[in-house]
Amino acid sequence: MASTIDQHKASFLEALQTSAAEGSSARTQAREALETLEVPTRKWEDWKYTQVRDLLKASYTTSGLAVESTEGFLIPDLEGDVLVFVNGRFSPALSTFGSNGDNMHIAPMGHLSELLSGVVDTHLGELISDSNIFTATNTAYADQGVVIFVPNGKIAEHPIQIIHINHPGAEALASQHRNLFVVGKHAVAKVAETYFSIGEGTSFRNQVDELIVLDNGELEYVKIENESDQASIMGHTYGHLGRDSKIRMFTLTFSGELVRNNLHLKLAGENVNAQLNGVYLIDGSQHVDNYTKVDHAEPHCYSNELYKGIITGSATGVFSGYIHVWPDAQKTNAFQSNRNILLSDNANMYTKPQLEIYADDVKCSHGATTGRIDEGAIFYLRARGIPELEAQKMMIHAFTMETVESLSMEPVLAYIEEKITGRF
Amino acid sequence: MLSINNLHASVEGKEILKGLSLEIKPGEVHAIMGPNGSGKSTLASVLAGKEDYEITDGEVLFHGKDLLDLAPEERAGEGLFLAFQYPVEIPGVSMTNFLRTAVNSVREYRGQEVLSGGDFLKLMREKQAIVELDANLTKRSVNEGFSGGEKKRAEIFQMAMLEPTLSILDETDSGLDIDALRIVSEAVNKLRSPERSWLVITHYQRLLDHIVPDFVHVLYKGKIVKSGGKELALELEEKGYDWLKELNPA
Repeated sequence: MASTIDQHKASFLEALQTSAAEGSSARTQAREALETLEVPTRKWEDWKYTQVRDLLKASYTTSGLAVESTEGFLIPDLEGDVLVFVNGRFSPALSTFGSNGDNMHIAPMGHLSELLSGVVDTHLGELISDSNIFTATNTAYADQGVVIFVPNGKIAEHPIQIIHINHPGAEALASQHRNLFVVGKHAVAKVAETYFSIGEGTSFRNQVDELIVLDNGELEYVKIENESDQASIMGHTYGHLGRDSKIRMFTLTFSGELVRNNLHLKLAGENVNAQLNGVYLIDGSQHVDNYTKVDHAEPHCYSNELYKGIITGSATGVFSGYIHVWPDAQKTNAFQSNRNILLSDNANMYTKPQLEIYADDVKCSHGATTGRIDEGAIFYLRARGIPELEAQKMMIHAFTMETVESLSMEPVLAYIEEKITGRF
Repeated sequence: MLSINNLHASVEGKEILKGLSLEIKPGEVHAIMGPNGSGKSTLASVLAGKEDYEITDGEVLFHGKDLLDLAPEERAGEGLFLAFQYPVEIPGVSMTNFLRTAVNSVREYRGQEVLSGGDFLKLMREKQAIVELDANLTKRSVNEGFSGGEKKRAEIFQMAMLEPTLSILDETDSGLDIDALRIVSEAVNKLRSPERSWLVITHYQRLLDHIVPDFVHVLYKGKIVKSGGKELALELEEKGYDWLKELNPA
């Protein structure tokens, strides 16, 4: 007899099944793999602090309520393409794209040109080295998402804004999303992706991104997760970085019932420069887990990871940072830091740095701190007439803004700044 | 203006102030001297509203209001300013942003119009000149990496910006070289007016050569044991704090 968890898995897969994109070998393989892949439990080291079993429990539908406009969802003053997905489906009416002309090929899945179909056939699923039930479900069935291809030597000046709005109705909504970005040699792209869930309903997103940056290419990729207390995210982002390439990633999580952001970057050529920063500001009973892995496979690469959290209520934050320096990766510079402020007695933070170094000429460091807000500083500000709440906002702003200093999209920076100071 | 009556305050169950009384009128400068551990800094902290202290008895009226009932920011709004003995470094908060927020918070409290960006910068330049503060310091984070003297001058600069009616200088002279001491004292003297009062807490008589007090009080074991004019500071300097033991045999 099948166990309860197997039944949940079966009904979860059934809900998310689509007939789209039959025939691709990656999809066929993923469908086969799903038969044996198990749901992670807390006994698995990588899932120790995050219970995902309950995500499969709900009986999901893939349709939700309508969203008529992008008002309140757009990043103000960010000019460029806007691609909007409502309840996981591309919304042509709310989207406009093509501002980069020939410098970027971009289309939602399902609307791909021959060239972009070729990109998908070549690369989809390529980077998923540690397939699990969520990534396999995504590869097997996700037929929505954005494909970006910047040809060699092209600079896509205009940023791409991808907006996901989930609006569940009475039934729990499940949506899947798959992004594939290929940034060619010497090419440049900038993407800001925002997630929202609105209304009182329950929702679950299963998201996979694959980012390929070829030699000397450059990608800036910002994710902002703005979810309701009934919304969960399972996100997997994989990056493959070629020689002399640069990536700047920033992940901001405001909320969500359960959020797991997996980020796995492979520095696959010499002299890669990777920055992966993040901020989470959570309260209530929210649970946010950032699981990151940086693979230094080649020499002379630099990675810098800085995640900061503010946790209040009885919320739980988790950070795992794994740095793996391969034997050939001499002259690696790899830094990692996770700093947290707990604003309440019941807030929790689990942080786990992990370094595995097999080369002997490297500079690596990691550090983690979890503490209270600096009461001495708060008193100093208040003694100058600044009200307590305002003083706290100033301190949170000061604590977190260091993580976004390197971002180049000014309107995104301003948006993040406003969101962060308005959070508590 | 400030009326302290039989103030008792403890920290972690240990009584530090043991029935302190003091009356400050508009325009007066009062100096409080005393040996280490006599309660000088506790008095400053209690008046500014630091939460680590428990008030067990007594009252403090400031402009007729119950000061101890007000939050620290309300005390600042009412016109109280504390120049910290150890100013706090706040990385990531720029001095300019901090001061603009502070000045406008206080102005809002006082029912005054909030300053525009231009007016604020003008005010800042004007007050910076009073303390001869390097303009670059205001671009940095609050007190971060400031030298000891710069920190103390920055405190006096903040005082000039916030225009308090009662300023408490908590050992502002400690650790200052003679030039910095002169700058700080001259700034205070320039700001003196019939409406503004000072409570100058110091360990050394030297500051009082520059900021001449109307009254000098000697704090010892949590109480004011002797009060007098400015000559009392000289007497104290000459006889040393051991003299207090003779005045107050245990």
